[in-house]
This record gives sequence, C-alpha cells and structure tokens, in this order.
Amino acid sequence: MELKTKEYVSYSDALQAFSRGLQEPEWMLQMRLDALENIEDLNLPVIERLRYNRWPLFQVPDLTGAPASKTVDPFEFIEDKADAARVIQTGNDTVIETLPESLKDKGVIFTDMHTALREHPELVKEAYMSKAVKPDTNKITAFHAAFMNSGLFLYVPKNVVIEEPLEAIFIQNSLVEDAYIKHVLIYADTNSSFNYVEKFLTKGNKKNAGNIVVEVVTKAGAQVKFSAVDQLGENSTIYFNRKGHTSRDSSIDWAIGAMNTGNVICDFDTDLVGEGSSTDLKAVGVSSGRQTQVIDSNVVNIGRNTTGNIFQHGVILDRATLTFNGIGHILNGAKGSDAQQESRVLMLSDKARGDANPILLIEENDVTAGHAASVGRVDPEEMYYLMSRGIEKTEAERLVIRGFLGKVIQAIPLRSMRDDLVQTIERKLTSR
Amino acid sequence: MAVLEIKNLHVSIEDKEILKGVNLKMQTGEIHAIMGPNGTGKSTLSAAIMGHPSYEVTEGEVLLDGENVLEMEVDERARAGLFLAVQYPSEIAGITNAEFMRAAINSRREDDDKMGVMDFITKLDEKMAVLDMPEEMAERYLNEGFSGGEKKRNEILQLMMIEPTFAILDEIDSGLDIDALQVVSKGVNAMRGEGFGSLIITHYQRLLNYITPDVVHIMMDGRVVKTGGADLSKQLEAEGYKGLMEELGLDIELIED
Repeated sequence: MELKTKEYVSYSDALQAFSRGLQEPEWMLQMRLDALENIEDLNLPVIERLRYNRWPLFQVPDLTGAPASKTVDPFEFIEDKADAARVIQTGNDTVIETLPESLKDKGVIFTDMHTALREHPELVKEAYMSKAVKPDTNKITAFHAAFMNSGLFLYVPKNVVIEEPLEAIFIQNSLVEDAYIKHVLIYADTNSSFNYVEKFLTKGNKKNAGNIVVEVVTKAGAQVKFSAVDQLGENSTIYFNRKGHTSRDSSIDWAIGAMNTGNVICDFDTDLVGEGSSTDLKAVGVSSGRQTQVIDSNVVNIGRNTTGNIFQHGVILDRATLTFNGIGHILNGAKGSDAQQESRVLMLSDKARGDANPILLIEENDVTAGHAASVGRVDPEEMYYLMSRGIEKTEAERLVIRGFLGKVIQAIPLRSMRDDLVQTIERKLTSR
Repeated sequence: MAVLEIKNLHVSIEDKEILKGVNLKMQTGEIHAIMGPNGTGKSTLSAAIMGHPSYEVTEGEVLLDGENVLEMEVDERARAGLFLAVQYPSEIAGITNAEFMRAAINSRREDDDKMGVMDFITKLDEKMAVLDMPEEMAERYLNEGFSGGEKKRNEILQLMMIEPTFAILDEIDSGLDIDALQVVSKGVNAMRGEGFGSLIITHYQRLLNYITPDVVHIMMDGRVVKTGGADLSKQLEAEGYKGLMEELGLDIELIED
C-alpha cells in the first residue's frame, strides 16, 4: 500500500532505531533519512510499454529487528558444499557464509551487508549507492535507500584473480508478510577478475513486495562475469535493478535468467563510464500463467571507445506478458563507441502478449550501433523438419525453445546453475 | 518386406494443382529413381508423402504396408518408417547435431529401451567415418552455418543413424561436386539391403552412375509418364526430355533452369 508523505517521514524514528540497532555507520543512517524525505517528491521511473503505478511495490518492511516468526530451511533448496565461496540468506538472515582461507588471505570480503557496514564502513561507502544506483534517481531507488533491510557485500582486491565462481543464494521468506529490500554490492578493485553467480528464490506464498538492487562497480581493468537465475514467487511483486558502473578498460558481462512467476520489472543497466570499458548483457526470460515480466536493459556509453551489447531472448506462454526494452544510449563525447542489441520474443500461446522494443539514442557521430528485434511464433519449417525425423511435437517444440534460449544458458559458468536454469525452463514449459 | 504405394495422388499448393494423379509402387530391397524436368512436381511428391504443412493432398492415398500415412502426423509418418532427405534443411541454433539425432533415434524406442550415450557415440563415429565428416560436426548446431555439401552429408548421416524403412532423397545431388557426390552415394549404397528401400529424386542422370536404380520413373506435368529399368535414365541422358516427350506424344511446356 502506498503511503502519503507524512506517513513515510513518520518512519524516521523507527528507521533510526533500526540503523542504530545494526550499528550502522553515521553516513548510512544519514543516507537513509535523506532518502526517506525524498520518496514522496520523486517520480516512478518510466518503463516503456508498461503501466505499473498500481503495482504494490511500496511495502514498508518490519523495522523492529525481531526475528521472523517462521523461518526457511535453506537445505530444502541447496546442497551442502564444503569449502566453496558461498553466502546463503533466507529472508533477512545469513545462514551460511563460507569463504576459502586462500581467498580470505588475499583480502577478499564476501559477507552480509550488515557485517560489512560494521567491519568495512569506508570500503562500502566508496561504492554503495554512490556510483551505479543513486538514492535520488527515482521513487523506487529512494525507497530502497531508506528501507534496505539486508544484503551482501563482495569486495575483490587489486590484482586478485579468482577462478572458481563465488555463489550467493537468496531465499525470500514469504512464509511471513514482510517487504524484501535486498542490496547486493559487488566492488571489483583494479585489475581484479572473477565470476559471481546468484540465485533468487521464494519460499511461501504471502503477498510481498520486493525492491532489489544489485550494484557492480569496477575499477580500472577489472573483469567481472556475473550470472543469475531469478525464480521469485507468484505472489512476489518485484522491482529488480541490476546496474553496473565501469572504470577504464574494465568489463562486466551479465548472463541473467528471468524465471520469476510473479509480476517483475527487471532493470538491467550498465553505465560505461571509463574509456575502453565494455559490457555484454545476455538475458533470457520465460513468462507464464498471467504474470507480467518486463526486462528493461539500458546501456549508456559515456566514455570513449566503450562497447555495449544487449542480447535478450524470451518465451511467453499462457496469458502472460513479456516485454523486452533494449535501450542503447551513446552520449555526446563517447567517440569510437559501439552499441548493439538484439531482442527476440517467441510466443507459444494465442493469448500471450509479447513486445520487443529497441531504442537507440545517439548523440555522437563517430560511433557504430545496430539493433534487431522480433516477436514471433515457433517457425513451422523448423517444427516440420524436427518432426520429419520422428520427434514428437512437444519434444520438437522444447528443442526449438531450448535452442532459442541457449546462448544465455551457455554463458553461465557454474554447471549446477546452468542445469537449474534448464530445469526451470522445462518446468515452466511443461506446466502448460 | 515392406511396401510403399502411392495411389492416384493429387496435390495442390495454394489451389494450384501440382500433382495430377501419381501412381507408384515400391518395396524394400529396391531403389527407385524419379527423374523429370524442373517444375514437374518431383519435390512436391516427396513433401506430400512426408506431410509438409504447405501442401494439400486433394485426392489419393499413400500406403505404407496398407496403412494410409496421409492420415498420420509428420512425426508418426517418420516413426512408421519414412524418411525424407532434403536439399535445404532448416538451420536450428542451440540444438547440437548429436543431440538432435539421439532424440530422433530415441523417439522410435520405448522408454526402457532408449539408446545410451556410448552406443550412440560408437554408431555415430562409425557413420561419420563413412561420410568423411570431421568429428566436430556432431557438436555443431544443427545445420547452422553448414555449407551446401555439409548439409547434404548431414542429411545422409541422419539417414544412416535413423535407418528408416523407406528413404526419399530429394535432389540430394544438386550442387555437389564429384567427391561429395561419391561420398553421399557411398552412404546410400551402404544402406542398400533387404530391409531398406529408397526413392531417389534427381534432375540429372549422374547420381545414378553411383547408385544404380532398380526402377526408373519419369515424371512430367504432375504424373509418372514412363517407368523402366536403369537403362531408361541413360536413354534420357542421351535423348533429353524433349525426345521422350515426342516418343510419348506429350505436349508439355518445359521450364528452363
């Protein structure tokens, strides 16, 4: 339920008590209070082809700090793995946190946000909502800055190269009514290089709002490969913002599977700030039932010789909606830059609604850019060919779809995550 | 022994009648060739037998051991024993060639009798060696980025892996150089035997130098106008379609290439 100005500000005392209870640094409390005052004055972000002003996104979380009345058993969702770099959170609690000694020795920090704010306040401050996502950008980011109630901090120091993926699993606790205001901050120091994978799930079916912000901030020369499988629940209404901010010659490559079952806005953005930096965003989405998912990918070329690629493929079933907005924005001064995008949607039902909406905004002459977009059905020639070899219609359709979504699946480094994504897709397809 | 019989087959595309009553009967152990000028309905015949959605059968039957395949779905026809190799197969990204062939083979088997990975790989290696195909082609996406010659070899590879009862090869020789033609022929000849029959559609005689047919049918204007032995194709090569038309007293306008 959306509240009036006075009512947001009325949370000021509770918010202060919440922040003090967590021993947050003063700058953090100040950011919360400033954001709280701004919520009402700021507008909702404009998402092309979507009206969502009636979506229940502004649920204020429980600020008492009391433990949830029902808790989630993480082992329902995960396997026990020794000695992997892993953080598992159920609801607002961190239940597993493991980091190999070798990485600790190198100065890698991989811990929950509250601990990070207590133990490394200055490091968090360098990147938290100051580079990628800003509190005063819109109503949703302000709400997030004010009410963020849990999260994760990953810091990889200068020149540290990590081969094995770092893994985070977040299980929203919808056994209870509470807003899910999660913040993930990934801070890649100069010339560091690593893989990070994350998974979002929901346990329970209470109607909850989520406001999730994931920031990836790179310093010069850092290389981050980020992958995610999102499977938030049917009764979770989510605004999901993943945003990268690149320094000189760094790169952020995203591979994201939007497999949620509720209504979700996914803002997947990267600001290519440093000269010679690049991003490659691959996203797949499957919408089913009556849900709406909008994937709004926005790459801004700010620095010279920056390269941005957006690649989005999606499948729609039943009466669901799936919209891809691909926004490539080359700013004046970003000479030698390149903005490319491809968005394709496959409709598997007459009642499905799909949209692939390419937008190129170019303010500089010396650049290259291109786009491709389509909304269509499974090619009858392809189906005929597969079936002419004896493969049944449903199996042929599954093969075509898997092929269509394959590019993102292959980009995920962790096998278990890839298998999980494939299984989730199959489950969505067979639930028809 | 299995029998494939085409009876009085009439087929239209967008209300234009292409086949005007085709009759043809063959059995396993035999290789039949269909020759004929361009635009005469040879490819339409193959597509109609397999069940391509763009072709409408307006009259007639296609019987496989007495059962009308025209009443079956495309995949059912394939599982009943029919196979069609085409000139321009679909390219499908994201599905590997090997994955596709294994799915095709297992679609014919019961759940408790699926072909295992090792058996599959052994068979695949063996067949690919016959066709001079590099191993990496098994892991490439189905026909994606394949050259014309690679696509045709891949069609024959599927034929050898699936081992159908009757295979129709639709102008599989067009655009192939002599080396490729020999390789493709080698694959088909390897299939030859009691349990296998093939209907080879070709515009030119040269493929039949490598695969000797038992029966040759000449098609013109939507009908089979003459049937004979292997020497019929040689006669045709010498006299051309014009000569044959005069002999049969036909008055048909030929479409130039």
